[in-house]
Amino acid sequence: MVNTAPREWTRMHPVSPFLGAWSVFGAIGAYWFFNNAPEWAGGGGDGWRPAIITLVLIGLVIAVFVVAGAYLSWRMTTYRITDDSVELRKGILFRQSKQARLDRLQAVDVVQPLLARVFGFAAVRIEVAGGEGSTVALEYLRLGDAEALRNEILALAAGIKQARQGTAIPGTMPGTGTMLGSGPSVGAGLAGAGPAGAGFSGGAEASEHGSEHGSDHGAVLRDFIPGADQGVPAIAAAAERDLLVVPPGRLIGSIVLSGPFLWLAAIPLGLLVAVLVLTSEVEHMLFAIIGSSFAGLIPVLFAGAGFVWSRLNTGFGFVAGISADGVRLRHGLLETRRQTVPPGRVQAVQMHQPLLWRRRGWWRLSVNVAGYQESEANVSTLLPVGTQADALAALWLVLPDLGDPDPAGTIARAMTGTGAEGGFTASPRSSRWFDPFQWKHRGVRATDTALLIRQGRWVRELVVVPHERTQSLGLSQGPLQRAAEVATVVVHSTPGPVSPVACHLSRDDAFALLEEQAARAATSRKRQTPEQWLATVVPAVDEVLAGDDVTVAPDGERPAQRGDAPGSGGLTDNQVPDPTQHTPGGER
Amino acid sequence: MTWFEPEGASWTYVDRKLIPARLITFAVPALLMLAATVVPAVIFGGAVWIAPAVVAVGVAWTTWVIVRQVGAHAWAERDDDLLVKRGRMFRRVTVVPYGRMQFVEVEAGPVARALGLARVQLHTASPGTDASISGVPTQEAARLRDRLTARGEATLAGL
Repeated sequence: MVNTAPREWTRMHPVSPFLGAWSVFGAIGAYWFFNNAPEWAGGGGDGWRPAIITLVLIGLVIAVFVVAGAYLSWRMTTYRITDDSVELRKGILFRQSKQARLDRLQAVDVVQPLLARVFGFAAVRIEVAGGEGSTVALEYLRLGDAEALRNEILALAAGIKQARQGTAIPGTMPGTGTMLGSGPSVGAGLAGAGPAGAGFSGGAEASEHGSEHGSDHGAVLRDFIPGADQGVPAIAAAAERDLLVVPPGRLIGSIVLSGPFLWLAAIPLGLLVAVLVLTSEVEHMLFAIIGSSFAGLIPVLFAGAGFVWSRLNTGFGFVAGISADGVRLRHGLLETRRQTVPPGRVQAVQMHQPLLWRRRGWWRLSVNVAGYQESEANVSTLLPVGTQADALAALWLVLPDLGDPDPAGTIARAMTGTGAEGGFTASPRSSRWFDPFQWKHRGVRATDTALLIRQGRWVRELVVVPHERTQSLGLSQGPLQRAAEVATVVVHSTPGPVSPVACHLSRDDAFALLEEQAARAATSRKRQTPEQWLATVVPAVDEVLAGDDVTVAPDGERPAQRGDAPGSGGLTDNQVPDPTQHTPGGER
Repeated sequence: MTWFEPEGASWTYVDRKLIPARLITFAVPALLMLAATVVPAVIFGGAVWIAPAVVAVGVAWTTWVIVRQVGAHAWAERDDDLLVKRGRMFRRVTVVPYGRMQFVEVEAGPVARALGLARVQLHTASPGTDASISGVPTQEAARLRDRLTARGEATLAGL
C-alpha cells in the first residue's frame, strides 16, 4: 500500500487517545497498586477498605470522563496538508485552528514516545518559529503515514522555494539519478525520491493517485503488531547519508566524565569511605547530619539523576546524516526522535568541551533552531559527544561554507587557541580584572560568512553565528568596564541554548566589531536569502552523496530498524567529509 | 571617542518631557518611602533620622540618574538599520536591521499620554533584542512606526 499525506480533512489514528493518555492510565494503575500493596510497602491498612472502594469508584468515574474526553478530542481533531501549509483543527469547546506555512518551515520532527514506538505509531511536529505554541503537532499517526507526511512536507517546502526561484536547479538531477540507480532494492516507492525539489512534481501526482485509497483506518488491530506492514510512502525520503554516529560506549563515557554524574557518584563513595575509616561515634554523628539534611539532598539527587537520564535518553543511538531535505538527526533510547532541519535553518552553533573531556578530545555541539521550544537537550543537540573530527564534520553539516580558505584549520585553532592565535581579536590585558582566569582565552574572529566567538579556559567554548542569521546586535559597557576601556558585544540569536556574547573586548575593537558586523550581516542577508537554500546546499549535498557506498534510506519500509541499530552501517573515519574540501555552494 | 559614534548616524534625542514623565512615576514610591521613614523618625527622634536621610539621598540620586539617562537616550535611523542608545553609567547600544524586525509596538501609559509621549518597541525573532525608545512625541512615534514598518517590509528577510 502507498501512504500519502491527506489533502482532505483527516482524523488522527483512532488509537491516539490511548497513546496520548497513557500517563493517566499509568497514574490510575499506580494508585491501584498503592492501595492494594501490603502495608510494609507503604500501602493502606485494613481500616482503609471502605474508603478504598469509594476512591476506586471515583477513580473509575474519572477514568470514564478521561476516556470520553479523549474520544471527543480525537473526533474533533483533524488535519490536512495543502500545497503551502499544514492545517490542524482541534478543541472540543474552544475550537483552535492552526496553520503552519511551509515557506516558514524551520524543522520537522517525527517523534515516537515509548508506547507509540512499541505499537508502531509516531507524532509529527512541524516547527515554524511563530513563538509560543506555534508548533503544529500531529499526534499520533501510523509510522508509515508520519514518514509519508514528513517527506511530502519537506518536498513541498523545497518545491515552493524552487517555484519562487523560477528555475530548476542544475546539478540536482544527475545526482538523483545515480542515487536511485544505486538503490534498486528500495522499490517503486522511491519513484518520486531524490532531493526534495526533484520529488515535488512526482509527489503531487502520486498523492492525487493515492487519495482514492485514503488512509486505511479500518485495520486497527493489525497495527498493534509491532513491525506490521507500514506501507510505502508515496514520496520517499530524500536520499540520506549518515555521517556521524555516536557509539553507546562513548556516550556513557561522556556522561561518566560529566560534573553532575561525578557529584552523584561522590556521595555514596564518600559515605563508603566514611564507614570504613571513621569510628562508630563519628559515623553516628555523620549519619544523623545526613539524615536531617536528607530532604535537602533529594532535589539535588533528582536534578543530577535527571541530567544523567536526559543525556542518556536523548543521546543514545545518535546518528547525524545529510540529505537534500537538510540535516537529519535521529536519536533516543526510550523516546526516539527523527529531526529534519532544512539547510540554513540553524541560527547559531556552540562547541563545548568540559575540562574532563579534554584528555579524550571530546566536544559537544548545540544549535539554536528557531521554533524549537522544548527542553534543549531533546531537540537542540547537534552532537552529544564526538571527537574533534566529528565536531568539525557536524559543524560542516549545518554550515557548509565557512567563508575561510582553511576552515578545518581555523576551527581547530579556534577550539584550542589563546590570544591572537588563529587570527582572533583577543580581549585586552585590562580585561583580566573581570576575567582573571580566562581573559587570554576570550576572542572573536569574523570569516566571510560567520562570526566565531571563543572563550573558556577550563570549559572551552566556541560559538559560530552565520552573518545572515544575526537578528540584532548589542553593545554594552558598565562603569568598571569603562575604567578598563573594554566593552561587551552581544549577537542576538533566536531562543535556544546558544547565546553568542563577546565579553570584554577592547573598546575600539568592540566599536569596530559592532559596525563591521552590522555591515556584514546586511550584505549577507542581501546575498543569501533562505529561499535560495536549495541552490547553495544541494550541490554540496550531492557531492557527499555521490561518494562511494551511498545509502538510500528506505524510510518507508522498515524505518524503525534504522533507529534501533545505529551501529550497523556505522561510521568509519573515511566517511567523515573533509571540511578542508570546501563546497562549491558558497562561491555561487 | 569615548563612546560609540557610528558614521552616518544622526542621533535623534528623546523628548525632554520624558524627565517629568519618569519623575512622576518615580514620585509615588519615593514619597511612600519617605513617609514610612520620616514618621518613626519624628516619633522617636535621634538616630532614627538616619533612615529618612538615606532615603532622601537615594531619591536625589535616582532623580539625578533619571535626568542624566533621558539626556543619553537617542535613536538613529540608518540605511539598513536602526540604532538605539541609552544609559550613561551602564551604556548600551542596540543595532536592529530593518529586515529583522518582526513587529513594531507603540504604547503609552497614562502619565506618558498626558504629556504626549509614547514608547516605540521593536521586536525581532530574538528575545534578547532590547530595542525600545521611550519618550517619543505621540505624532513622531506614529510616523516612526510607519517608517520602520515600511522599511522592514522593503528589506524583509526570512529568519
